[in-house]
Amino acid sequence: MDDEFLRQLRATFKVEADEHLQSISNGLMALDRTSAPRARSEIVEAMFRAAHSLKGAAKAVDLTAIEMLCQSIESVFASWRRQNSTPPPMARDTLHRTLDAIGSSLAAPAEACGMVAPALASSLRQSLSQLEFSPSLASTPAPSAPGAVHASPALSGDPPTKPVVVAVRESDRSAPKETVRVAVAKLESQLLEAEEMLAAKLAAAQQEAELRKLAGRFAVWRKAWLAAEPDAQVLRHAPEGGAGDASRHAHSALPRLLDFFDVSLDTLKWLEDKTGALVRAAEQDRHAFGKLADDLLEHAKKLLLLPFATISASFPKLVRDLCRDQGKEADLTIRGEDVEIDKRILEEMKDPLVHLLRNSVDHGIELPAERTRLGKPSRAAITLVVSRLDGNKVQLSLSDDGAGIDLAKVKESALRRGLLSPGEAGQLDDSAAQALIFLSDVSTSPTVSRLSGRGLGLPIVREKAEKLGGEVSVESSAGTGTTFRMLLPATRAAFRGIVVVVAGRLMVVPTAQVERAIRVKPVDIQTIEGHETISYQGRAVPLVQMADVLELPPVERDPAVHAGGASVLILGTGDVHIAFTVDAVLDELEVLVKPLRKPLSRVRNIAAATVLGSGQVAPILNVSDLLMSASRPGSVKVRAPAVASRPGIATRSILIAEDSITSRMLLKAILESAGHIVKTAVDGLDAFSQLRTEHFDLLVSDVEMPRLNGFDLTARIRSDPKLSDLPVVLVTALDTREDRERGVDAGANAYIVKSGFEQGNLLEAVQRLV
Amino acid sequence: MNRTGPTPPQPEALQILRARAQALARPPESELAPQASVEVLEFRLATERYAIETHYVREVQPLKNLTTLPCTPPFVLGIVNVRGRIVPVLDLRKFFDLPEQGLTDLHRVILVGGNDLEFGLLADMRVGVRSIALDSLQPAPATLSEIGAGYLMGVAAEGLVVLDMARILADPAILVHEEVKS
Repeated sequence: MDDEFLRQLRATFKVEADEHLQSISNGLMALDRTSAPRARSEIVEAMFRAAHSLKGAAKAVDLTAIEMLCQSIESVFASWRRQNSTPPPMARDTLHRTLDAIGSSLAAPAEACGMVAPALASSLRQSLSQLEFSPSLASTPAPSAPGAVHASPALSGDPPTKPVVVAVRESDRSAPKETVRVAVAKLESQLLEAEEMLAAKLAAAQQEAELRKLAGRFAVWRKAWLAAEPDAQVLRHAPEGGAGDASRHAHSALPRLLDFFDVSLDTLKWLEDKTGALVRAAEQDRHAFGKLADDLLEHAKKLLLLPFATISASFPKLVRDLCRDQGKEADLTIRGEDVEIDKRILEEMKDPLVHLLRNSVDHGIELPAERTRLGKPSRAAITLVVSRLDGNKVQLSLSDDGAGIDLAKVKESALRRGLLSPGEAGQLDDSAAQALIFLSDVSTSPTVSRLSGRGLGLPIVREKAEKLGGEVSVESSAGTGTTFRMLLPATRAAFRGIVVVVAGRLMVVPTAQVERAIRVKPVDIQTIEGHETISYQGRAVPLVQMADVLELPPVERDPAVHAGGASVLILGTGDVHIAFTVDAVLDELEVLVKPLRKPLSRVRNIAAATVLGSGQVAPILNVSDLLMSASRPGSVKVRAPAVASRPGIATRSILIAEDSITSRMLLKAILESAGHIVKTAVDGLDAFSQLRTEHFDLLVSDVEMPRLNGFDLTARIRSDPKLSDLPVVLVTALDTREDRERGVDAGANAYIVKSGFEQGNLLEAVQRLV
Repeated sequence: MNRTGPTPPQPEALQILRARAQALARPPESELAPQASVEVLEFRLATERYAIETHYVREVQPLKNLTTLPCTPPFVLGIVNVRGRIVPVLDLRKFFDLPEQGLTDLHRVILVGGNDLEFGLLADMRVGVRSIALDSLQPAPATLSEIGAGYLMGVAAEGLVVLDMARILADPAILVHEEVKS
């Protein structure tokens, strides 16, 4: 078989095998709790079929070891099926061990995938062969409880304590829906494309607005025309009179001028009509297109909705294993497994849920003897309920009937960590005290297990929930148990962000983490121990430059812009607040969060990126990183308040005309680092219109540019009365003598060849010319 | 066509034509030994010519709307939007620590991928796709030693530097993974 082909087949096999292993594992656990003979035989039947399918699949991809193990498992189930009796507990352990061995062999990378060590395999097969039913092994059949038919939800209605019987789903007698297996990666790329339509929708709205502006200009023109029109009438009907050459000349010119006036009127009216029609068409398009884009996105999101069962399938085994390790006894009941949730939210929630389950077993439920002493049933009950709420939300609640949270210990731990003063601790009511467990470093457990007890888990649970736009709360009463509730969006919530300018670049700050956006005047800033602070809600909050925290080169700013005070965002959660100065706060928008991908595995201070309506990509800042970065010693600098700071070099405003984005960035960086205020234009025409509307001290221009090249731009500047004295530096790839001469002829003051370009050349030329 | 023009061909002329036809019909050498050659995409970067195996190339795009990303190493030039995916654009000269001479107009991004990574490589222009016999590759001359032999497959005729994308993609140095140190 072709290696590549086999590799693909095995990848598919792995997915299938995981499902079969899961359903056998769940079946075994369901068997523990099911006593009705009919339900039990259905479970055994389902497990038998899963083992059989897995065997066939393993054979197809040449994984003999797995195939043989499945053969043994299948034989065990076949014997149970024939005898229809209760298998001993040791049988279940052996089977679980076998499933684990197959599972972990599948988790191995590439070549080793699916390879079970021969020694392990043969010992497992040996043990399995002893499990095949013989009357001597049988334990007493469990008493059958009336009405405990859990096998088929369709038949039993929806019993409130329906156990997890995923394996039995196969025998579901409800009409099967037609389904097709599609790789999740394909659906995800589908969703990405649909999300991209949202950017197109925003762009359509922006275009419509532009057209409206254009149409609006005609109203201005019409008004001016109405004012001028009577004068034209006067001239049109003015009697011929007067004498002399000049007057005669004027008379012959007048009809031509009036003709032109008429033509202009017709043309402008035609343009006005057409523009009006375009605006209406654009508006209709935006409506139609917007609806299509919304629907498409909505449907694409639904494609990624998966039942909760996809992550909860492994939970019963987890609880069982944890209990076995700690000598505890508990049953996990999961309800609402068919509630559908966005796959990406499910994936994010799995670890926090696993943590909460561990937490329940580790700290919540008591040992069987203790429970008996307290008059509770020796087997604890852990219940995980998933329910769909209004407004696209789901609630996950995890309850146990254990000891509850010891509030005294929580307060003590918080006191010890200095999170609470003794006075505060005394005043805390129960729910506030319970909320303390979500703070870092607080733990009620004197011992630390692998995952819980370190006082780290619950803060992470809360952080995950909040990151997804949800919240988590806890209720507990001493002696009777604890309930954790998580409220989450069922589909990924729209993400709102504040668009800011930092060192001349657009960036997005998550709205949820912005406490406030304010303007700060220089008089509001106080310097305490060398650090700038502002007063916010009666407290001194450190003030830092966002550009410094992001390690961006300082940009010299126009003092006029800052007359009204600097734009400041106060960021933070809980008690930690830091004020960040930005160039400007532009807008608050709903944005699409796009993850950064490898090789950008994790970037300091940047959480993700988004595409703005203009099509521009902007980074989304990571607020908790920013708070940490800003708190690092040395990152908070006290700035000299003066704008121009470099001795000997006066700040100049310079325009760069360059069509290459990389050259433009480099030139801008060089000139800005020399202390100049720099603006950029993407071609000659853009440069010329900027020069006409704004004052610049110097132009640095490329030669080869679309629309208007550097030579022609220079010539145009020289012939413009207002601009003729502007110094022009041409930077070009054209290196011949003719080109240089042409540049000089056009009126350039300096000519720098790109191949020999050095930072020094440019700065020297600039300094010489201004 | 003008039928009255040329005279009927002479026997010697026919012979020459036949010989030419046979020469043309012979398959080119690269097709004779396909397993010993690689198909590469050749591109210019500043004054150098580089090539990478087309196997790793997804597409070539004009560079527009590049967004710079703070707090990244110098070889990360920024990020671009490729049909909804945010892809980093890398400057190989900075990654290899090559001295940069002059000012170059980089107008293209070559999107490459593999080993779970995807990124764009900055290029001046795409020269074209061609096939290179592996045994024609020479070891890097001393002038190119800065790149480090590790990243090169070799140097082909006319000084074309053939990069070893598999090594570059597998190099941990290309991964950006930085936490804020407290």
